[in-house]
Amino acid sequence: MTVERDKHGFDAPVPLNHPARRGLPPGQSTGPEPGELLPGFVLPDAFGNPIDFHRDRGQSGAAVVFFRSAVW
Amino acid sequence: MKLYSISYDDQEALAAFARGQNIPFPLLSDVDSEVIRRYGVLNTELTPDDAVLYGIPFPGTFVTDNDGVVIAKFFYDSYKKRDSPEYLLDVALGRIELADDTPTTTGGDAEVKITAAVHGGRGTIRQGLMRKLVVRFELADGLHIYGPPVPHGMIATEVAMKGPPGLVILDPVLPPTEPLRIASPEIELEVWSGTVDIAIPFYATGELVSEVRPLDAESAIVEVEVRYQACDDQTCLLPRRETFELEVPLDVVDVPALGIHMGHGQREGTYDAGPHMKRLYERKASK
Repeated sequence: MTVERDKHGFDAPVPLNHPARRGLPPGQSTGPEPGELLPGFVLPDAFGNPIDFHRDRGQSGAAVVFFRSAVW
Repeated sequence: MKLYSISYDDQEALAAFARGQNIPFPLLSDVDSEVIRRYGVLNTELTPDDAVLYGIPFPGTFVTDNDGVVIAKFFYDSYKKRDSPEYLLDVALGRIELADDTPTTTGGDAEVKITAAVHGGRGTIRQGLMRKLVVRFELADGLHIYGPPVPHGMIATEVAMKGPPGLVILDPVLPPTEPLRIASPEIELEVWSGTVDIAIPFYATGELVSEVRPLDAESAIVEVEVRYQACDDQTCLLPRRETFELEVPLDVVDVPALGIHMGHGQREGTYDAGPHMKRLYERKASK
């Protein structure tokens, strides 16, 4: 396998031009900014239970992590 | 603080991941990327032509206060750069909580105690994972050290870090200083007192530790140089320069048990991701 190192110096097991290696372009906005209320949502968890974000966290602070995939 | 994660994976894949990797927090399934879009974090570098990949977010994290208002967010120019979970706690706590199981060394003296530690991810170096070198000064009552800028002849506190090739070391993050007014000559200085944490973020590239080859070595040596002068309101102690060495373990990354990731000497998932990938292809192909 040929390892193609990207401009940041990172290695990955797919070629450099593979779409999975496309990162955040300069100037791209990334959603709510500090000082803004995080938008509410209801999504099922892994076991089918609907989770209402603001209701579930109650009076607690939260971290919401967006990640690419648990599959690949 | 409560932790939530969101991806475009289906519930079945997330359930296998949660069980296989012992994930204790909710893995939320946004199969149509509705929340990903509404949040404005859809990876717009991909198009529906990219089929199976279309719908993923730019990876990143939001941290909120108790009212749900964003107090910090972490997004990077490369999807390989990821924060240590400890950073999220730092933001929530408003201070750095050093773990007792990471590479740590101490110096200084009774007046100024110094601790240098690798913060985050049990102190391991892995490709792309953001860590911090934290140098903690614990100053005796009445003493202060100086932040930049300082007048000629005075010593501003400096922390510098060196590592092997492939370790990318970012600029130090300094905590806020307090002003100290001196009457004669009339000057205002920026000082720190009490416990002062100076953090230097760093990460490794593929040159040092890669996700497509086994580890080249078990650990790397990181050198730290600290320069400071402690004073009280009347007098100053002698300027000090100290160096420290930390041996930091190198580590591979966790990869799914999927052909493309396997056989590269990484920590492979405990469950077969193949059927989930097949289902993902089918789901995307049907649209």
